[in-house]
Amino acid sequence: MKLIAIIEDEPAIRDNYAAAFRREGYEVRTFGNRKLAMTACAARLPDLAVIDISLEDEPEGGFELCRALRSMSAELPIIFLTARDSELDAVSGLRLGADDFLTKDLSIPHLIARVNALFRRIEALRKPQTTGQTVQRGPLLLDGERMQVQWEGQVVLLSLTEFWIVHALARHPGHVRNRQQLMDAANVVLDDNTITSHVKRIRRKFQQLDPKFDAIQTVYGMGYRWVE
Amino acid sequence: MSLRLKLLLLGLATLVLPYGGFEYAREMEAALRDGEQQSLQAIAQTLAASLQGRSDLLYRLPTDAGLAAPGPDDLQAVPLLAAPFLDGYADEWPRNSPFRRVFSDGPHQLTLLAGVHERMAYLLIEVRDPHVVFDAPGVDVLDPAAFGDRIWIAFTDESGTQHQYFVATAGPGPVRARRTETQDLGRQVAIEEPRIVGGWQLMSGGYRVELRIPLAMLGARLGVLVDERERRGADPKSFGTLDHDTLAPAGKLLIPSPELTNYLSQFIQPGLRLTVLGADRAVLSEVDALSVATVSSAERGVLAQLYRRLLERPDDVKVVAAQATITGIDRKQLLGSVQIVETAERSLTLRDKALTQLLNFTLLTSAVAVTLMFAFAAWLAVRLARLRRASESALTREGLVTDFPETGAPDELGDVARSFSMLLGRLNEYTGYLRTLAGKLAHEIRTPLTIVRSSLDNLESESVTPSARTYLDRARVGSERLNAILVAMGAATRVEEAIQGAERSRFDLRALMDSAAGAYRTGFPQRHFATDLPEGPLMIEGAPDLIVQMLDKLIDNAVDFSPDQATITLRLHAAQGQAVIEVDNPGPALAGEGHGHLFESLWQSRADGDSRPHFGLGLYIVRLIAEFHGGRAEAANLPDRSGARFRVLLSNPG
Repeated sequence: MKLIAIIEDEPAIRDNYAAAFRREGYEVRTFGNRKLAMTACAARLPDLAVIDISLEDEPEGGFELCRALRSMSAELPIIFLTARDSELDAVSGLRLGADDFLTKDLSIPHLIARVNALFRRIEALRKPQTTGQTVQRGPLLLDGERMQVQWEGQVVLLSLTEFWIVHALARHPGHVRNRQQLMDAANVVLDDNTITSHVKRIRRKFQQLDPKFDAIQTVYGMGYRWVE
Repeated sequence: MSLRLKLLLLGLATLVLPYGGFEYAREMEAALRDGEQQSLQAIAQTLAASLQGRSDLLYRLPTDAGLAAPGPDDLQAVPLLAAPFLDGYADEWPRNSPFRRVFSDGPHQLTLLAGVHERMAYLLIEVRDPHVVFDAPGVDVLDPAAFGDRIWIAFTDESGTQHQYFVATAGPGPVRARRTETQDLGRQVAIEEPRIVGGWQLMSGGYRVELRIPLAMLGARLGVLVDERERRGADPKSFGTLDHDTLAPAGKLLIPSPELTNYLSQFIQPGLRLTVLGADRAVLSEVDALSVATVSSAERGVLAQLYRRLLERPDDVKVVAAQATITGIDRKQLLGSVQIVETAERSLTLRDKALTQLLNFTLLTSAVAVTLMFAFAAWLAVRLARLRRASESALTREGLVTDFPETGAPDELGDVARSFSMLLGRLNEYTGYLRTLAGKLAHEIRTPLTIVRSSLDNLESESVTPSARTYLDRARVGSERLNAILVAMGAATRVEEAIQGAERSRFDLRALMDSAAGAYRTGFPQRHFATDLPEGPLMIEGAPDLIVQMLDKLIDNAVDFSPDQATITLRLHAAQGQAVIEVDNPGPALAGEGHGHLFESLWQSRADGDSRPHFGLGLYIVRLIAEFHGGRAEAANLPDRSGARFRVLLSNPG
């Protein structure tokens, strides 16, 4: 049984989410502040952490917690679930190594769908042969078995979500992929702004290797496409 | 009227000072003159007292004194300023002297005037005579047949002895007096008296004779008799002041003492005139230094002269005069009087001096006061202008950007500035609060809303009765609407944050608009979208994501205000270094003058009855994004008022 840790200072929300996850068959532990969460996680690392950014008297307590958890485990999936919806917070959260950044607008079924998707992805990671196929597009090489991306022979360090986005785009060059399609491909449920943030990060990672990188094109009002 | 002008006028009020000074100087001058008058009077009285009983100083002969009423034959000698030239012309004599004596006899007239200069007495004799008859030339003057017109002079000497002389001539020119002397055998001879000389000259209607007689020869009495003849040798017609038969002089000759002038000279000063008059008011002696300048005009400054010209009045008294009577020893008999005249120049000079200093000082004071006031007013005006500018521009959309001036000033203006600064600070806090209120509110409401929604979500999983489900659905609809409101409220804040974190890149605006139009066609199937785009690419520097958001807001607006199946036109062109995006939509025209407000936060002019939440933020976001790209947003009606046109200008460095 998967253990989900919910760190949220608002008891009503915490309990509602906990109830929903338990109904889905997850084991849930809830914490009201960073200290309690840290103590418990140090004793037993959960399979997934759902963190609010502001925790009781710490406005940025969630970020602190995320950094601490990430230092404990590089693989622990972390999801931010917050009332704050600014892009800056989203970018900060993702940069700290969170796998997803969700706002509390999200309905519970939607949230559970995303969490399920995340666990599915981790499963997929543990069974790499299931998606084991290689895609070659010009200087781009996608290695489905090792979840690795190379550009002109150099390895591009992408997160799992980013890998699946690149995968979805590069598989059919020239086809416009709207955001929903990208989310489906990546097995994640993200909102529009988060997709935009992911695409920006992907571009930047490629541009660090090749400043002239321009293969991911924005089709305004529709989505993105891969051009060769 | 500006503050500067007001204070300048106020400063001009100090000109009262010089005016007051001027009036004061006039008063002072009057007092000075009064004092001068009194001192002059005192001098006159002293002088008169020193002459008391000194008839010897007044007249040459003490017996002449005390003639209160001179007889008709008496002659009063006039002091002459210079010795007359004995040529028979009256040029050197005073004209119209009151001491002329006139004797008339029918058509004939004799005018006598006596004068004295130094040690000589002078006689001016004018005879009006229609028939001037000269002596026959070359004949014995004592031959009666040769007699022409003849003048007799008779006087007594100091011892009282009588002397008689006559003046006769054969023609105009120098003459000498002669006397007849009876010699032995009764023979009469005419002996010339060389001390009595003169000049004989014809004048219109008669002749004139000037004679000089040494004072030493003269005693108390003197007379003149004219023998007028119709022809030579005829019986004469006599008139004059001598007895016709005995030729005894009837009148006195009054001669002022020559010592008197010397005596008076001791008292003379520049600007003073001393006159001693006899009892008959005849001038006995006069020492005149009135016109001798006491102060040279060069000594007076240019300013002083200017002031005098300004201040001089026609009624200004130029002289001061005083008079005192001279009495005899017994203090009853009137001997004469002393007159002193002094120019007022000295008091005027004093006044001028005081006035010059006073006026210089007060005018300088006025000038300094006016200048200071003007400078002060200018300084105040500058400070006020600075305050005004600051108060107009201090509060911008970004908040209180400028340091408020003058808040350090310790005066009332500083108080005003501090109050203003405080007021603006509060206003700034308030507007800042208002600006962030929507975002904060959205954030604060989000948590309880999440509680409601997550509870509703959980409730879905519970088994609820169909009747309860109805209420559940309603609660869900309500919470969804609340959520939409929150999203709308936070939209501006999100855009502001996005602008702060936006990255600029170079991109093709034409391609962006083309693809966006495609998206709108699918997004709003009940509207038609027409595009009017340039042929080639139009590159601009900016954030394409923001531009898309801006277009979204413009299209949202156009769709909201246009009827179904209406055609919305998207237009792009380059003009004057700017990229111009226009969105035209048919529909109601914009009302009134509020076009500028359209782009302000929380402004809306929507008709009621729209169920979707609106906070007037859409066009505000358009403006924010346009300004981020160095441009601006405008709204106008279509030329035929069939709809509205929203235009965004973006700076286009390419």
